[in-house]
This record gives sequence, structure tokens and C-alpha cells, in this order.
Amino acid sequence: MKLLAITSCPNGIAHTYMAAEKLAKAAEKMGHEIKVETQGSIGVENELTPEDIQSADGVIIAADKQVDKSRFYGKRVLEASVTDGIRKPEELIAKFERNEVPVYGKPQSDTLKTIEEVKTERKQKQSPIYRNLMNGVSYMIPFVVIGGLLIALSLAIGGEPTDKGLVIPKGSIWNDILNVGAASFTFMVPILSGFIAMSIADRPGLAPGMIGGYIAANGSFYGSEAGAGFIGGIIAGFLAGYIAKWIKSIPVPKIVQPIMPILVIPLFSSILVAVIFIFILGQPIAGIMEWLTSWLNSMQGASKVILAMILGAMIAFDMGGPVNKVAFLFGSAMIAEGNVHIMGAIAVAICIPPLGLGLATLLNKSKFTEEEREAGKAALAMGLVGITEGAIPFAARDPLRVIPSIMIGSMVGSVIAMLSGVTDHVPHGGPIVAVFQAVEHVPMFFVSIIIGMVVTALLVNAIKKPV
Amino acid sequence: MKLTELMTMELIELQLKGETKDEIMEEMATMIDRSGALYDKEAYKQSLYHREMEGSTGIGFGIAIPHGKSHAVKQTCVAFGVKRSGVDWDSLDGEKAQLIFMIAVPEEQASNEHLKILQFLSRKLMDDEFREHLLQAKTKEEIMQLFEQV
Repeated sequence: MKLLAITSCPNGIAHTYMAAEKLAKAAEKMGHEIKVETQGSIGVENELTPEDIQSADGVIIAADKQVDKSRFYGKRVLEASVTDGIRKPEELIAKFERNEVPVYGKPQSDTLKTIEEVKTERKQKQSPIYRNLMNGVSYMIPFVVIGGLLIALSLAIGGEPTDKGLVIPKGSIWNDILNVGAASFTFMVPILSGFIAMSIADRPGLAPGMIGGYIAANGSFYGSEAGAGFIGGIIAGFLAGYIAKWIKSIPVPKIVQPIMPILVIPLFSSILVAVIFIFILGQPIAGIMEWLTSWLNSMQGASKVILAMILGAMIAFDMGGPVNKVAFLFGSAMIAEGNVHIMGAIAVAICIPPLGLGLATLLNKSKFTEEEREAGKAALAMGLVGITEGAIPFAARDPLRVIPSIMIGSMVGSVIAMLSGVTDHVPHGGPIVAVFQAVEHVPMFFVSIIIGMVVTALLVNAIKKPV
Repeated sequence: MKLTELMTMELIELQLKGETKDEIMEEMATMIDRSGALYDKEAYKQSLYHREMEGSTGIGFGIAIPHGKSHAVKQTCVAFGVKRSGVDWDSLDGEKAQLIFMIAVPEEQASNEHLKILQFLSRKLMDDEFREHLLQAKTKEEIMQLFEQV
């Protein structure tokens, strides 16, 4: 768990810091992350940022003074005295483990839920495996963005058409840019598995995860021509994380403790992960990846349409939730495997839900409340920059009518994109990726988006009841 | 800046004579007064009791940290006393206090540095080993050495 705490006492000289220290120690002992803001006579230190609060699972307020709670709206908040923080920090933390802490100021259900609220609710329901995976993915994405963009740019500007496709002449500056992009790609799998492992086992998991990921990505370790790719990376990350967590849980004498996180855990976890990958898992996973990529590349006609429909439906289904992220992760991973068509279809599907619903609010005002019409403008802006979450406020209010409409719109859009050869070299969607030169067949890219938008808007207005 | 700059040898007492909380409050406030850190000892003591009213400073683990912030204080200082047999401090865990830190802080702080040191001391006191070492120290020099770490 990721916890936050605030400690404060009347004088702000001693108790505040004692409670902070005890809470931090107890959390560490119980295997949780914690950040403690102290409100003492020196003023506020180690202040909690909105990002901290956003990503936290709960907040402990150990204070004998009034503390402003408004910033924790919608979070689990446990209030206790500062002495409880000193005397029984374990008990306070255990209340979060047992899920006994109520959410502060639960929002009323009849107002339009904001995107943030829905996201927070989702986060509370997330399984740990999904959270670990997404931690890895979020660190990996920038590497794919940099790699994809630089490679696409260097080919688009510096490439010369030959009979073997676009080729960048040797000695051109674009060749260097291409190589920088390729360098960024080589980090992709190690970063993915490293941060999955870190999410499971904290810092001692990072090194074994990255090393495991590197081995997974390089087939030469286990005598295979192709690497085990992102699937191998995910498996390596979880393997490294759980092995490190397991070693961490073995009781050791006090003298050895300081070297556990920097030496013993990383070393033995890395060796174990390496052995497992080199001798057991590497080859079969590489085989699966090879089969998958060649199957995707050889896909024609009907099967291409079906894949695009599935991906489009997944992207729209939960608008940035787990199903959406699985499709998105698949598309991003395929960029690094050299197949940019899949991300092309996804990039179109990503922006259709917010753009389509935004358009719907403009076309027929009677079907939407004042509040929704405002949300519609925001949705249009978010759609342009490829944020599917812009559709959430509409879907949260009327899921049975809105979700099918956006799913169908996204499916139509991604099928058209897939059939017309639209590609996307970066793991992101919406018109903005065309601005960055990451898309091929730009006119068809926009045609797909517009058709998907119109389908969504007409459909939702047809089935929605007037307000 | 270090904790030892807020303390002198005369602010350490390895064998407190007082038997009750009130006696020890008086004994240690006198130590601080004698070091010249106070304008007015009685006013300072009032601030100590005022703080105790808001909740005992006997935080458990055998520690009490009576502290007062007052205009009667000239400069920040810390006195440290040991009462091996323990003294009842209305502690939260019901245990007697053996290590007593009395802290004096002026109402208006010239800088935050002193407060920083007290913060480090507070955090350090949560360390079981550190407390054990303090209890075992035989001389004032040993105590000073331990405080050097803060």
C-alpha cells in the first residue's frame, strides 16, 4: 500500500516528529510505502503533493491540532491523536490493511462524477497484479514515445524511397537520430520489467527486474534468434519482483540486515531470474512472440478486421481502465516489434469516445444537462490530445447507452484505419500524434476519426432519452 | 549546528534527586535557569505546566520531554536528566519515565535551526538502541558523545 500521513501537535517541537518517525518505521516494517508531512513549529515539511494524494491508498492524520482535510476528499482518512501515532503506529496502519477506514466526504451519487473520482474508485478496486503491471508500463511508455518518434521522424524527413522502402543514407544526421531512437527502444523491456519488480518488492527489486528484462529481450542468452519481447519482460518483472520479495521475507541476523537491500536481495534475485530465463523460460516465450508477430504481420482481410474490432471495442469499453490499457499495451509493444499498424488502429479508437460525445452535445442539446454540455467541451479538447478519459463523465451517468455507442464508434474507426494502412509510431492516440509526424496515411487517419466520431454521436443521440 | 551546542555539561544530570514529577520539573528548570538561558524561571515553568495540561509529555518508552515555549526563555536549550528508578509522568503507556529531556524554546525564534535540532532529537529518541545507550551511559562525557550524533 501507499500511505500518507500528517503529524502535528500543539507546540510542534517534539511529538510531531516522534510520530512521523514511528509511522515511517512501522510502515517500513509492515512493507508499505509512506510519506509523512510534519506540521511543526518550523512550518510544513515534506509536504504532500497533489500527486502523492492522488496515488495514495489512505491517509493517516495523527494530530492534536486541526488539520485541513479538504484535500483528502474521496480518500480513506483515519484520524487519530499524535500520541496514537507514537504509541501504536502499527495498529493505525493495520486498520488500512483490514480495510476498516471509511472514505472521507463520500461524493453524492447524483452529481456528475469527475474523471478524477472515477479513477480513484477504479484504483481502489484494482488488483495488485494489475497495479504492478501498470507501474511498469507507465515507466516504459516514455521510452517507446522517444524511440517511436525519433525513428518515425528520421524516416519521414531523412529517408529516401528505394525499392526496399525508406532508407536513410549512411553518414546523414538522420542516421544518428535513428540510432538514438533505437537506443531508446532497447531500454523498453528492461524498464518495463524493472519497474514491475520495483512495484512488488520496492527498491531491491529494480536491479533484478531490469537484468531479467534485458535477458528476456536478448535471445542470444538462450540461443534464440528473437528475444522474448514484452511478454518475456512482463514475466521477468513479476518473477524478479516475487523472488526479491520472498528473499526479503527471510529472517536474517541483525548484522546482515544493512546489506540485504543493496547486496543480498538484488544479487540472489538476479541470479535466480537469469537462471530461470536462460535455461527454462527464454526459448518457449521467444517462440510464442515470434509466432505472434509473424501471425500479426501476415494477417489479411477478415482477420485484420476482427482484430481491429476487438481492439477498438477494448479501447472504448472502460475509457482508460484495465481493458483499455491491455489493448494499449499490446499496441505499444507491437511498435517495438516493428508492427505499427496495430497502434494506428488504436490511436484512432482512443480519441473517438471523447470526440464523439463532445460532438453529440453540440448536435442535440436537449439530450444533455447543462453540466454535461460543459463536460462535452472538455471532452472535445481531451479527444484532440488523445485522452479517452474525457468520455468518463458521460459514461458514469448513463453507462448502458453511452458505452455501447462509443464502443461501436471506436470499432468502426479502427477498422477503417486498419484497412487503409494507417500507422502510428508512438504509443499515444488522437489527432496530436499526426501533428508529431508519427502517423502514416494522415488523410485516412483523420477520415477514420471523423467517421467514428459521427457514428458515436448519432448513435448516442438516437438512444439517449431527453433530459 | 549540533545538539551539543544547545547543551552544556551543567545541563546534564545522571542522578536526578527528585522523586515526583513536580520535584523533577523544579530540579531541571533550576538547572536551565542556572545556565543563564531564562529571563524568568517561574514564567518558564508555567509554560511547561501549560503544555502538560494539553497532554502528558511522557510519551512512553521511558521518556518524558517536558517542553515550554515562552517569552521567559532567552535562548533555546535542552537539559537532560536520568532517573534510574523512574518517575511517574502520567505516561501514555503507564510506564515510569527514566530519561527526561527538558526543552526551553523562546517565543520568537531568530532562526529555525534550533527547532531543526529538536526535531532530529525527537526522531532519534524513537530509536531503541539510542535510548538503551543513554540509559547505560556512566559519565556526562559519554552522554555528550551520544548527543554528538544528533
